[in-house]
Amino acid sequence: MGVLPIEKANEVLEKALFAAAEFQQFNQEETDNIVEAVYKAGFNARVKLAKMAYEETGIGVWEHKVLKNVIATQLVYDSIKNEKTVGIISNDRQTGIIEIAQPLGPIFAVTPVTNPTSTVMFKILICLKTRNPIIISSHRSAIKCCTETVRICYEAALEAGAPEDCIQIISAGSHELTQTVMGHPKVALILATGGTGLVKAAYSSGNPAIGVGPGNVPVFIDESADLPFTVANIISSKTFDNGTICASEQSVIIEEKIEKNVRAEFERQKCYFLNPEETERVSKIAVVADSLSMNPLIVGQSVESIAKKANLIIPEGTCMLIAKLNGVGKDYPLSVEVLAPILSFYVAKDYQTAIKTCIDLNYLGGIGHSAGIYANDDKRILEFSQLINAGRILVNTPTSQGAVGGIFNNLIPSLTLGCGTGGKNITTENISAKQLINIQRVCRRKLNEKWQNIDRNLYLDESLDESTLIKKYNKNQ
Amino acid sequence: MVIFDLNTPEKELTFRFKGRLDTNVCMKIGDEIVNKMSEIKDPATDLLTGYNIVFDLKEVNYIASSYIRICVNTAKQVEKGKFSIINSDPFIKKTFKIAGLDELLNVS
Repeated sequence: MGVLPIEKANEVLEKALFAAAEFQQFNQEETDNIVEAVYKAGFNARVKLAKMAYEETGIGVWEHKVLKNVIATQLVYDSIKNEKTVGIISNDRQTGIIEIAQPLGPIFAVTPVTNPTSTVMFKILICLKTRNPIIISSHRSAIKCCTETVRICYEAALEAGAPEDCIQIISAGSHELTQTVMGHPKVALILATGGTGLVKAAYSSGNPAIGVGPGNVPVFIDESADLPFTVANIISSKTFDNGTICASEQSVIIEEKIEKNVRAEFERQKCYFLNPEETERVSKIAVVADSLSMNPLIVGQSVESIAKKANLIIPEGTCMLIAKLNGVGKDYPLSVEVLAPILSFYVAKDYQTAIKTCIDLNYLGGIGHSAGIYANDDKRILEFSQLINAGRILVNTPTSQGAVGGIFNNLIPSLTLGCGTGGKNITTENISAKQLINIQRVCRRKLNEKWQNIDRNLYLDESLDESTLIKKYNKNQ
Repeated sequence: MVIFDLNTPEKELTFRFKGRLDTNVCMKIGDEIVNKMSEIKDPATDLLTGYNIVFDLKEVNYIASSYIRICVNTAKQVEKGKFSIINSDPFIKKTFKIAGLDELLNVS
């Protein structure tokens, strides 16, 4: 009889807990040395791991996966290396508050098949920076490349003096083991990146969780936008790693009056507009109709591969398929998130209708995630931003590379993008080291003089209203 | 790194540790502890019948997870309640607390 999931979970958590116990004795310098060593090891393995990930999963483009590994190591490291994450991290004499960073304890990190090695390295770096041991559960289709990533990072960490078992990986083949570890009382936090079911399981586990699920990114192209620039940016983003980043563009929404020009520009830049019959064929292979969810078999596939699966004849050199849709929801399968180079295209009769379509798409499985706007009109940019429920609104920026931060803007580089309460997250921020510490506040006595000086019995007098009491409260003493 | 103090009449074996008990140190002292304990084991039962085992951490300022493992393995070889860790400083006490072992290992 094999080892039961609970026995395995106990063993893994015991090791992690011992590592956590040792880790909390480390100072900032010792911690930073480990993080630097792991960053360098991961960065130096960027090409090998990217190729492994591509060969094992058959998803995406290996050259783009190299860049994802660079984002997850170089850019992430750059953004956290000078952060204080150990002991006293601030001392404000004016408020009398000292902040002390404490580690959380064992972190259970679930990683996706779409960005396997990069997400593993990213999560390892932010966990080590905060002195938290990490237990990784990779997607079952990416276990080899993730295990190798863990080996490289763990060896570098040990060499730099990190605690034994500060990085572990469990066999992801067992759904039951993942569930058991998720609900284990010794887990301090779950960092779940993946599909809706996974994120829901993380939140139902009874342990604190940061779960980041799907997006459904609408991109509005305003009439004021620079079209050649806009189209080039959208293509570079939606085709990046064959569209596997959850912040990649899913739909483009425009006003009728610019349709002709927009369409011509997409065609000029080698995109292929599907006719209604072709759209139906692509819909059938791209989206599972019953659940209205993307078909895992087309995730991260090339345009040629998708065309072949759908029996399409497309011009040579086509970089992206575009499907014009007339609505949002179950009758229009391509209106949901599809992590592949397939873009849906909406033409609205006017600006108001276009924005309403953006809102519909945003609320179809992508609440709180990301959205994009191309415009040279600040009023419209701000109006769009206030109407859309997204943690990141990317302006004149490719949404894939824009949302992960550090390239096109100053968002914190991250492969786990908070989606706010709309995505059942506690934050809309890009998750990084700062979310992985408990901050204790040492509060020195600093009296509120107004509170000390007011006769507090006055509050007991029902006849005194707010303005009278505030006046007395603010009276100079 | 570690000094033994065997008090046979009182049936008490004390290990006094010193300094930083990191992974490398633990690899060395692990065997020393096992050897010393085998000397007083009851050959018939292979148990430390009646003996108190005490780990004195008065002069210890750091423990690795492998040291925690040594403590757990040692405690398993003695009768219940006969293993204890004494003189731990508050940081070391907290380390055992985080590992969830302070009660099991009788840390004071």
